[in-house]
Amino acid sequence: MSLLRNRTLVPIAASFLFGILPSASAAASDTVVIEAGRIITQAGDDIIDGVIVITDGRISAIGAAADIETPWDAPVMGGPDYTAFPGFVEAHTNRGMDRPNENLDVTPFLNVRDSIDPVNAYFEDCKRWGVTTLNVQQGNNTVVAGNGRIVKPVGVTVEEMTIRPDFGYKISLAPKGGKSRATQRQTLNRTFNDLRDNLTNMVESAKQDEDFARREALGQGRERDADEGEGRAMLGTGWTVDGLEMVKRSSIDEKVLPLLEMVEGRHRTFIYCGAPMDVQPAIDFATMNGLLGTATLVVDDSCWKAADAIKASGMSVILDSNMLHIERDPVTEEETETFVPSVYAEKGIPFALTSANQSTNSLWFQAALCVGYGMDRGAALAAVTTTPADLLGLGEVVGSLEVGHAGNVLLLSGDPLDMTSWVEYTVIDGEKIYDRSKDIRNKHLLYGVEPRGATAIESDASETPSDIEVDGVDKPTDEATEEEVTEEHADGHGDDHGDEKEVEETVKKD
Amino acid sequence: MNTILSLGATALATPLLCVISSASERPPVAPVIWDTEVETVEASAPKPEPVKLVISADAIYTADGDMIKGGTIAIAGTTIAAVTPGGVSSDEDGLHVAAITPGFIDLSPRINLADFSVEESSEVVPYLRATDAVDLYDPRWTRLLRSGTTSVLISPAAEDVVGGMTSVVKTGGDPTLESREVLANATLAGSFGSHASRGNSPVRGRPTNHFARRPTTRMGTEWSHRKAFYDTLAAMSHEDRKFEGWDIMASVLKGERPYIVQASATQDIRTAIYLKEEFSIPNMTVDAAAEAWREPGLLARSGMSVILPPFSAQGRTAIDNGFLSWNCAKTLGDLGVAFALSSHGSASPSGRLAMQAGYAIRGGLSFEDALASVTITPARLAGVDSRVGSIAVGKDADLVLWSGKPFAATSRVVGVVLNGELVTQ
Repeated sequence: MSLLRNRTLVPIAASFLFGILPSASAAASDTVVIEAGRIITQAGDDIIDGVIVITDGRISAIGAAADIETPWDAPVMGGPDYTAFPGFVEAHTNRGMDRPNENLDVTPFLNVRDSIDPVNAYFEDCKRWGVTTLNVQQGNNTVVAGNGRIVKPVGVTVEEMTIRPDFGYKISLAPKGGKSRATQRQTLNRTFNDLRDNLTNMVESAKQDEDFARREALGQGRERDADEGEGRAMLGTGWTVDGLEMVKRSSIDEKVLPLLEMVEGRHRTFIYCGAPMDVQPAIDFATMNGLLGTATLVVDDSCWKAADAIKASGMSVILDSNMLHIERDPVTEEETETFVPSVYAEKGIPFALTSANQSTNSLWFQAALCVGYGMDRGAALAAVTTTPADLLGLGEVVGSLEVGHAGNVLLLSGDPLDMTSWVEYTVIDGEKIYDRSKDIRNKHLLYGVEPRGATAIESDASETPSDIEVDGVDKPTDEATEEEVTEEHADGHGDDHGDEKEVEETVKKD
Repeated sequence: MNTILSLGATALATPLLCVISSASERPPVAPVIWDTEVETVEASAPKPEPVKLVISADAIYTADGDMIKGGTIAIAGTTIAAVTPGGVSSDEDGLHVAAITPGFIDLSPRINLADFSVEESSEVVPYLRATDAVDLYDPRWTRLLRSGTTSVLISPAAEDVVGGMTSVVKTGGDPTLESREVLANATLAGSFGSHASRGNSPVRGRPTNHFARRPTTRMGTEWSHRKAFYDTLAAMSHEDRKFEGWDIMASVLKGERPYIVQASATQDIRTAIYLKEEFSIPNMTVDAAAEAWREPGLLARSGMSVILPPFSAQGRTAIDNGFLSWNCAKTLGDLGVAFALSSHGSASPSGRLAMQAGYAIRGGLSFEDALASVTITPARLAGVDSRVGSIAVGKDADLVLWSGKPFAATSRVVGVVLNGELVTQ
């Protein structure tokens, strides 16, 4: 039975009966209704037997089924067996790119737009594990890296994927390959000192030009040409160069203009610390250049030792996917384990978890581990939804299921932190972009089914997951229960052929 | 235990695939000789020690019958003195946890496998003992213990065809073999696949003796295996054919000692099954058998037991790139194939043996089978189930204390009891 019960055919038929053009129903097809036995909104209490109405990609209504009037002609997804959950938010990643870093030290003129590969298997994994929003930044092997971007894992072009273009810059305090920490910091500080000197020189030069022009006009006894007025006074809380309004912004080299805009607080920065010793220099650097309000620390697993400094700076952190820091005493060789997120949670430092984006290290699993190590369930779930959304300035758009937010909804087979739960459907902006029953790779991993191309696959498996059945036609699926498959194995020839079948039971809907 | 015994019987009843006549020379194959009676021995030690530690839990998973909902475990000396249902109250003195399981047993911890533990004098060295090369000060012992693994099987590296004898040891306690060994020379270890011939190079110049022909291919490995067992059959009937270690090989053929061979790829698992059937090896286990899901029928038919390698996110495992499907454990369980999970010594929180059981559950395995696959089943496969592997009176007090339902992603090991001592908390 199709998951998308279609009700559009009815009005179309009805309108033809009465000789009316079906324009109204065409407009209504932008509305999708999601039903779930339980909705975990991440914005208040769970809703039992709830519905989510998504109109034009945004949530237009959410609540108990009894309280919400759903459009009678909208397709319906889900059902009472599902748990609805907001799409996970990956606070920081440098995967999905051709190469995460350039060889040069300071490259703010680059843009990850030119490096993101929309068909990279990483983005397929994101759909599979329910990550619907990703902050793609360049890698940590840099001094100042290029412009990042917030994307969703759907679309065949970078533009289609984009949620926020030209978002944020990566700065690293940990040594880039071939550097020591000393040269790394020297390079970083010199970059911004040079910027300041450059701008000061430009202002001086502009003053001289201005003076010359004024005297020239005076000598020639004419009025001065009107100023083009393209300059802007410099903003920024760290340092400013007086008189920058005399300099046209277009005359500033594009290689340093992004740096100026960072100092002015126009861009977010993600400052990577690869060891506790990087933390205080990072804070000093951010303070000196006025980045404290716009910077987020990206910390490795050992940086918990500098948590007090981070707390004092007021900055938030994005954690490494390895959350258990193991340290061996150099003398006694005794090992101590520190569960990193708990440290930040205890200090009250806002933190976001990140994943290695595999089944066992995806964001659900990271949050589950946090609960296992004693963290409050709400805090653990927030660290993979609302906290990263807030860190990225998208708190009003993603991370929770509320009216006005993007229609990014996961339909799970159970509780998000349960070992046996799976993402059955991923919905982004109201569009179903992942359906586990059609996920060949997942079947291969779970049941040992040969991947696409290795053997003939049944016709319905060749559909792309993004195909949405809106014509209401149920395609027959070749089903075999697991018992049947294992019986074939028992015959001693269950080599491969028995596994081509869809061994998953299609979820029956009302 | 019944499952294992019946599988062993099946193997005996299977017609031999062997076409070479040596049946007359073969000794009558003895039944599986594990002592099944010891389990039921009551705590009738001559000098009962006083109870020194009492731990209560909301749930006790004994791996030996039903779960006890609310109960206490009393420990005297190094063993379990009493398991009492009920009587859990929060104001009681002593430790209280959410759940208790037996200590885990890892048959493939890969803890001692440094390169220097590979014997190169011959490809068949049954007389070597892994314990002679084990480093009890390796920090990985503590990691294993901390994550709940209380007993492991230490084996020689899989770089020889028949690599030597293994031992079951505890992961903690005094750093002496005497205090840690549960069962010396527990099993014989062998290897199929590319590892057995890895690093070997063809003989340069004229081969002068048997040892110069160390296998460089899978064919060579298989040949070495069969030659070793045929030589053993000959040695068992002809005094002048005896060779060093023949008696150990003979004990495998008689079923007195389990034979554990590494075989990851489908072809290697098949080879192992054919070897088992050809020589009627009663008690044989394939280790790191990632692709067991491709041949569950053959495994069931031959009575072979299985040790699965750790699950990987992309399915591919380290040994011979074998593909381990996530429902492999369930498939084997449904067919009655005895299987154990293993960690290969991973220290990361997502790779430990406790998590492997969780992944198997994610792949469809029932909780009870998952619990057995890291406790009582590996204990049986190594022949140490009389001492460890389940929670029962008289058994070693090796316990894992949990913060919640065992193997759930939201639970973790909060404490480990080894030989009656609370070693981590």
